[in-house]
Parts: sequence; C-alpha cells; structure tokens
Amino acid sequence: MVNFMLLAPEITVVATGLIILLIGVFMSPRTKNVLGYLASLGVLAALVLTIQSFGTVALMFYDTVSIDGLSQFFKLVFLAVALIVSVASIKYNENSDHTEEFYTLVLFATFGMMVVASANDLILLFCAFELASLATFALAGFEKQNAKSLEGAMKYFVIGAVSSALMLFGISFVYGATGTTSIPAIAENAAFLAQSPIGIVAVVLLIAGFGFKMALVPFHMWAPDTYQGSPSVVSSLLAAGSKKMGFVAAFRVFILALPALQVDWQFAFAILAVVTMTFGNVVAVSQTSVKRMLAYSSLAQAGYIAMAFVVMTPMALTGGIFYTLAHAFMKGGAFIATATVVWMITTQRTGNLDVPDHLDSFRGLGKTMPLAALSMTVFVFALAGIPQTAGFMAKLVLFSSAIEAGMAWLAVIAVLNSALSLFYYARLVRYMYFLPPEGKKIGMPFPYAASLLIAVAGVLIMGFWPEPFLQWAMDAAQVLI
Amino acid sequence: MVKTALEEFAFLIPLLPALAFVITFFFGKKMPSGGAIVPIMAIAASFVISLAITLGLLANPEEVVSQSYSWFAVLNIGILIDPLAAVMLSMVSFVSLLIHIYAVSYMSHDPGKPRYFAETALFTAAMLSLVLSDNILQLFVSWELVGLCSFLLIGFWYEKPSAAAAAKKAFLTTRIGDVMFLTGIIILTSDLMRLAGGFQDGTYLLRFDEIFSYIPQLSALQANIFGFEVSHLTIITLLFFGGAVGKSGQFPLHVWLPDAMEGPTTVSALIHAATMVTAGVYLVARTFPMFIAAPDSLMVVAYLGGFTALFAGTMGIVMNDLKRVLAFSTISQLGYMMLGLGLGATIGLEAVGISIFHLINHAFFKALLFLCAGSIIHAVGTQDMRELGGLGKVMPITAATMAIAALALAGFGIPGTSMGTSGFFSKDAIIEAAYLFGEHSNNWIPYLFSIAAALLTSVYIFRLIFMTFTGKPRSNYHGHESPAIMTIPLSILAVFALVFGGLTQTGFMAFLEETFANSFVNVDIGSLAGIGGNELVEAAGHEPLLVLWMPLIVAVAGLAVAFVIYYLRMIKLGAIASMKNPIYRLLYKRYYQHEIYTEFFSLGIVYGVVALLTQVLDVIVDSIVEGIGILTVGVSEELRRVQTGVVQTYAAAVIVGVSLLIILVKLIMEVL
Repeated sequence: MVNFMLLAPEITVVATGLIILLIGVFMSPRTKNVLGYLASLGVLAALVLTIQSFGTVALMFYDTVSIDGLSQFFKLVFLAVALIVSVASIKYNENSDHTEEFYTLVLFATFGMMVVASANDLILLFCAFELASLATFALAGFEKQNAKSLEGAMKYFVIGAVSSALMLFGISFVYGATGTTSIPAIAENAAFLAQSPIGIVAVVLLIAGFGFKMALVPFHMWAPDTYQGSPSVVSSLLAAGSKKMGFVAAFRVFILALPALQVDWQFAFAILAVVTMTFGNVVAVSQTSVKRMLAYSSLAQAGYIAMAFVVMTPMALTGGIFYTLAHAFMKGGAFIATATVVWMITTQRTGNLDVPDHLDSFRGLGKTMPLAALSMTVFVFALAGIPQTAGFMAKLVLFSSAIEAGMAWLAVIAVLNSALSLFYYARLVRYMYFLPPEGKKIGMPFPYAASLLIAVAGVLIMGFWPEPFLQWAMDAAQVLI
Repeated sequence: MVKTALEEFAFLIPLLPALAFVITFFFGKKMPSGGAIVPIMAIAASFVISLAITLGLLANPEEVVSQSYSWFAVLNIGILIDPLAAVMLSMVSFVSLLIHIYAVSYMSHDPGKPRYFAETALFTAAMLSLVLSDNILQLFVSWELVGLCSFLLIGFWYEKPSAAAAAKKAFLTTRIGDVMFLTGIIILTSDLMRLAGGFQDGTYLLRFDEIFSYIPQLSALQANIFGFEVSHLTIITLLFFGGAVGKSGQFPLHVWLPDAMEGPTTVSALIHAATMVTAGVYLVARTFPMFIAAPDSLMVVAYLGGFTALFAGTMGIVMNDLKRVLAFSTISQLGYMMLGLGLGATIGLEAVGISIFHLINHAFFKALLFLCAGSIIHAVGTQDMRELGGLGKVMPITAATMAIAALALAGFGIPGTSMGTSGFFSKDAIIEAAYLFGEHSNNWIPYLFSIAAALLTSVYIFRLIFMTFTGKPRSNYHGHESPAIMTIPLSILAVFALVFGGLTQTGFMAFLEETFANSFVNVDIGSLAGIGGNELVEAAGHEPLLVLWMPLIVAVAGLAVAFVIYYLRMIKLGAIASMKNPIYRLLYKRYYQHEIYTEFFSLGIVYGVVALLTQVLDVIVDSIVEGIGILTVGVSEELRRVQTGVVQTYAAAVIVGVSLLIILVKLIMEVL
C-alpha cells in the first residue's frame, strides 16, 4: 500500500493549481487577485508539509520515487522560490485576465521540479523535467504583446528542445549499456558503461541536458535573453528555481547512478565550473541592464555550485546543496527587487521605458523606494559573499571544502571571481544610494514588500543561524555518499 | 518561581533597545518628538528586567543567569548575568534611561532627532549586550558596535568639521586598542585550541568558564620576547588591557575623550557615564581571574591607572571649557578604577568590588555633572567658563545638583561612619587599598598618585563650580532654569550621587565578590594569585587615623584652594594663568600631546613613511589593478559580442560545446 501522505506537498501543489485553473474561469478580472493569495497559501502549506517530513526515507511506486534528505531539501528550495514568486505575482497579475493561467503554470512548474527532486528513475526524471520546462516556456512568453518576452521564450524553447533531445539521447545510451532506467540499478550495471567509449558520450550528453537548466557555459546562451525578456517574476522562478532542478537531477544521475564514470564527469565539471564562473563574472561587468547583469551573475553562481561535483567530499556536497537554497533566496529576491523597479518605471513613466531594468532606473532608489533598495543591497551583498549573509556561509563551506580536499587552485579561482563580482554588485549599490533620484518617494505595493521581506529574512537567517540549514544540507549530502 | 520566569526574559535586555533602534530609525520621523518614546519605553523595560534580576541575585547570589546557544561548532552566543553583570546592567539601563528622558527636551530643536534617538538606543543596546556576554567573542562584537555608535554620535553634527574630526579621532584611537584586544583574543583562541586538543563537541571554547578553567595551563605556556620569558597569560591579559586602555581613555590613548565633546552633551553623558568608557574597566573586571593569575599584569594596570588619574587631573585644572574639565575628570576617575583593579595584586577579589563600586558611583555623579553642564549650555548657549559666572541665582536647581555632584566627585564624607557622598566611599576604598598595597610591598607610588590626584580633583571641580555659579556674569547672557523634564532627571541623579554609596557600601562589595564563585564559574582566586606570584593580604590592616582622614583632608584643601583663588579672588589670576608661565602653557596645551601624537608621530613619522611607501606601491599596484580592470572590461565587451541574439548561434554553441567537451574529456582520460 502506497502511503500517499508522503507526497502531501506535491499533492497540495497540484491540487492548488487545478483548483485555481477551475475557479479562475468563473471569476472576473477584478476578483482574480484572490487566486494569488490562494496560490501563495497552497505553496506555504506545501512548504510546511515538506519541512515536517524532513527525515523521512521511503521508496514508492515500484522504486521510481525516492523520498529522502536530498529530495526534501530541494523541495524546500523549489517551494521557497515558488512562495517568493507567487507572493510577488499578486501585484504583477493585478487586474489581469490570465491570472489563473499564470498561477497554474507556476504551480505546475514547481510540481515538475519537485518530482525531479525525488525521481529515482530516468524516465520519470525526464518527464518531470519536461513538465517543468514546458510550463516555464509558457511563462517566459507570458506577456504576449511584448516582443522581447516572446523572443526570450522562443529562444528558451528552441534551446530547451535541443537540450531535451541531447538528454534523451544520453539516457538512451545509458539504457542501452545497462539495460535499465532505474538509478540504483544503473549504478549496479554501470561497469558496462564505463568500459565502452559510449560512457563519455553519454555523460557529456547528460551534462549538456542538465547544463541547459543549470545555465553552464556553453549551454547558457538562452539565459541572458530569456531572463531579460521574461517578466521579472518569471525570471526569478527561472534563475532561482528551475536552475536548481538541473542541479538536483545532476546530483541524482551522476553521483548516484554513474559513480563508475566519476573521473569523466569530474573533469567535465571542473572545466565547466571554471569557465562558467569566470565567463559569468567577466561579462556581467559590462552589462547595463540589471536583469542581464543578474543573469550573468547567476551563471557565475552556478559555476560556484558546480564546484561541488569537482571536489566531491561530503563537505563540498553539503556546501553545494546549502548554496542552492542560499542562491534561491538571494537571486529570487534580487529579481523581485528588479520587478519592483520595473513596476515603478512603467507606472511612473519616468525612466527609460524601452529598458525599464536599466541601471539608470536604480538611481536614488534608496530615496524613492527605501525598502526595495535595502533588500536589493542585502541580496547583492549576499551574492558577493559579504559575511553574515547566506551567500557568505555558502561560499565559506564550499570554498574551504575545496582547500581541504587539496584543490586550492579551484578555491583561488573562485575567490578571485568573487572579488571581481563585487565590482558590479557594488556599482548597483552606488547607483541606489549615492546618485540622486529622479522621481519622488513612492509607496511599495504590499505583495512586493512581503515577497522581498521573505527573501531578506531567508538570506539573513541563513547567514546568522546557518546550523539547521547546514544540518539539512548535510542530511541531503548523506544520501549522495 | 518568579526568578526563573524572569530569566526567560533576560535576552530582552539588549534586544528591546535594539528593536527600538530599528523602529525609531525607520519610523521616527512620523512620531512625535522624533520617536523618543520608543527607546525610552524599551530602555525602561530593560531597566525593570535588569533590576528584577539583580534583586533576585541579591537574595541568592549563587544562582546566576546563564543561557548559551551553540554557534559555529565550538563558539556560542549566550547570556551571563552574575553579580558583576547585574549591577552594570542596572546602572547602564538606569542612567541611559534618565539621559534619554532628559534628551527629549535637550534635543527638542534638533532636526535630526530620529537619528539621534535611534543611535543612542543602539548605543545602549550594544553596551547592554557587551555586559551580558558570556563569551569573549560576543563581548568583542558588542565592543566594536559600541565603538561604531560612539563614532556616529560624536560626529552627530557631521556638518561641523570639528565634530567630524573628533569622531574620526575617537574611532581611530580606540581602534588601536581594539586591534590589541582582538590580537589577545586570537592568541587566546589558538592557545585554547592547542590545550583542548582541537574541536571538542559540547564545549564552548571562548565562554568565560571554559577560559578560566584553562588559566593554570595558559600561565604555564611561555613565549620568548626580546630575550624575556613571558607567560602567554601575561601577553593575553596585557593585550586585553590594551583594548581597555583605548576604550576607557587611559594614558596614552586618552586623547580622543576630550575631543569627544563635539557631540551633543547628552551623548557625552552617555559615553562618560554609562555606555562606553566603562566598557574597558568592565573588561578587566570580567577577566579578573586571568589578570590575577598573570605575573606583572596587574602591576601594569595599577601603575597606568594611577598615573592616568594624576596626569588627567593636572590638565583638568587649566581647562576653560566646561565640558573639557569634565572630560579630563572622567579620564582621571577611570584611572582610579583601573588603579583599584590593579590593586587586586594585594587585596584580591575585593579589588573588583571597590573598582566597580566606584564605577557605579561615578556613573551617577558624572552623568549628573554632564547633564548639569548640558542644562547650562541649553540655557546660556556657551560652555566657556570665562564667559559664565553668577549662574547660581538664575539656575538654582542646576546649581544645587551640580554642587552635590561636585561634592561626590571630590569625595566628601566623614571617615568611619556611613555619612558621606557616593564618591567618598568608593574613592576612599581605592585610596585605602593603595595604602595597604604600599604597606605590604613598600611601594608607595600608587598611593602617592591616588592622593595627589584626589587633591587635584577637588581643585578642578570646585574651580568649575565657583567660576560658573558664583560672582558676577562675565558676559551678556539670558539664562533661565531648564524645564522640568530636564531638572527631574538631574534631581533623581543627585539623590543617587548623594546617598547611593552610603546605603549600599557594605552589601555592594560582598555581592560583587560572589562574581567568580557561583553556579557558572567557581575559581579559587587565592590559588590563581599564587600562579601569578601575587601575595594576597588576608585581613585589612588598621590604618593610622591620619591615613583614614587623608582623602578628606586633601579634598577640603582642594576646596579651600579653589575658594581662595576663584571665589575670593585673592590671588591675581592673570599672573599664573598666562601663556608666559611655562607650566601653565604645558598644562593648557595638554602636554603637547596633540603636537606629539598628531603632528610628530601620526603626520611626521607614520604618514611620512606610509606616503613614501604608497608612492612606490601606488605605481606598481595601480598599473596592476588598472591593467586587470582594463583587461576585464575589454574582455567583457568582446565576450558580449559572442551573445549575438541569433538562436541558431546558441544551438550551434550547445552542439559545439558537447563535441568539444567529449573530445577534451576523452583526451584528458587518454593522457592520464
């Protein structure tokens, strides 16, 4: 008998999505605001259920679904992002006719990511991956009148399709060599794969498939265009949430299914990590659109997290997993803060309307919207790794694990990159606090403020009180060792 | 049961003022009188909790409040309220409360009120959290926060260049001490790690009970410095004392304190009485078991304290600025406190008692003196004593309360009875301890320092009183008595300055001696003193009658001198107090410290060398940094072009990436 209570968070998310889709049809645009609150409540309930289920270990549905520390931790990441996004979207979807579609897509994407987190079978993993991808394709192009949004969605879709094809190709090689798609069974039979030259090909194809979501160079090229073109709340979901889906899939597939090929993928990740973090940081320096800058900084962050695959000690895995949650709050929050600024520019009609997220829009934000400016400062400082923020703790654990494992060169590259990143983060802070504002002080819409406060709280709590989170990350890493 | 319930609220003591800071900082503008009510309520609540815990402790001094939460494996965040912390908490919150109430009126015309009240609330919160830290690291964090707040508040009127400069000076000077303190903590931590054999689960490495339990081993560690064998414990304690020297304005790092007058007078009162300068004394008292077990450390404390008491007193008698006289007086009195602690080499734990007793009494009368000065400045608009005079008739309450404070500072009282001002009991105790020390070790220098400083104290404070309140006005001013919201705190403080010492004299010291023997720590001071080579005297000897009366005699003598010169004007002042008189000039120029520290040492040597080095380094570093900068931006621009925006390119990049990666990994595998 399957204990469905173990899937309570997933069921809550799907049920909320379906209910919203159904009742939204009968509501007028004016009353549809309620749907946002409903979705946020649903996500919050799922979040609480997930935290309650920490420590549960179970295999379900003929061993295709695995509930363990890793799956629960990543569900926490996805739900935290979904919460930030759905709260902020209450404002974004104000008076829109398509509110129910938006929230249903967000919830379905979240559901897909959550299933990826507990997938114990490559077929289930692929299907869930596609569920999340398709939902986010539609979300990226949600502003149907906005050519940039459509362009971003189109590119995202084309590259996504290519990557899915590559991933499926890789899975077929794995299946061909081992005769199974179940992750534990692959691990038992992986010797066949390791002996044949197909092994490397399969590994690289899988890396390409996951690397598309993780936005590792050179599979990243869709990311800046899509993050910039999409509505900011969707960028937040993409950068903070769906990126982590790539990581959890890679954790499960490479570390659990393909330990026999560890040397191969370790090398591949070493190259990708170094290239990605350096490329991301260097290109971010010359960006004038804040969303593009955040997109490139997001590349760099993915490069840091990918170090976990290179170092591969328990501490490194803990650090990498901890980093995904930290990054969810920092990057999710930063995009929401940008959403607030974009909202300000478009409603006040003061700044550069073509590029509402231009750096100039952030001039004097400390005066016009103090809360948004303060939260943005917290987020970028956390991304840069200033002490007592989540970003610092994450970097501390991850980088010191590299040194401990005798990979000081990797830690040095990462630290130099962090130093470089401070340049463009501090520039943003300078624009917000040291340049004069263009408009007058305006009130923050409540949903944006609430969403930012959730993210700030996450960043600061993880910085000041990292122990419970580190413990959870350690439990998650335990699954992989 | 009441007590256990109270302990649960101990964490609120620093938290409430900290919350008040946040509220006032962000929403103060919209509240009446700059949101002053929020910090006042918060600090009042802190005071009530502190006082209740103190009373609970008084009944049962064994059961101290101690709560710890682990933080980063071997470190912790925690609360420790033992007798020492309890009296400090009550005093800090009480004095700060009165100063906040007073400031409502004092700052009423200032547009920056919300900022002022927010910062003073944070200042108080930092000091409270410093006092109730149960580990040295948390203490250091609060210590730095106190430093930051003092910087912000001294430079409160930052448009004024002198205020900005004073804030910078205070920050940089105390920083020298802070670096020493931090170095001490680092050495201590590394020693403890070595002694404890690395990380031990379940122990909090830097918590005071843990530190104290390692004192014998720490003392046994020897380091070779310039050919001398020095105990690690001596090094650590002296470095801690270096921090205390900076914070508590001891020679030679006292230079920031007189300049710190540039802030609002209420800030001076906070700094001098409650929140900042006492932190150094508190640090030494808190780590007293380490000091007493460290050879020679307490001697350094005693000598430096005694010297500072005298040295600052000499400068106090020539200052013409009301607040500067008080500033030098603070330095001098802090010297007494340090001297008291240093005498622990002879009198053991009693030293903590008398020193903290003086600290508390001093807090009352020094806060009172500053608030009186503030009242005068508020009413008259000048703080130059040469322009004042005859204020006694105009401002009777201020004059009366300030006279009481002066009597307390000078230490008037009748020996052998419990009649006397607060300052009398505590200062007398220190001077008597110095005598005992002299008798015991035949070293009379601390005693001479203390008795000479007592004479100077009396002279400079009564000079201030006579010059300000008696005679005829020496300039045109229109004074008026301050409003009740200012005079009521003055009166409350005056009552405390008058009777607190007499009422608590015996109980206080006994209570404080429980600090290091209770449910949290239990150290045997006697055996620790043995480690440090300090011989303790058991029973207090019977001093000759003259010694007992000596402090009063010099105090009266000082009053008489001031009376003759400044009230009766029997001596032509112009002849002495002129720049032609080399002694006067030396004192007035404050021993040319500014010239020596700033112009010769800072600007001449340090700045000169640094400037030379930087010129050389500038060229090298600049070219490297700029090179990297130009390279990065250039590369960044180039790489940006890779992002063509054409989706076919992107797909091609994916495919090329996959192919390259396969080839690369394959190649590397082959090579290996």
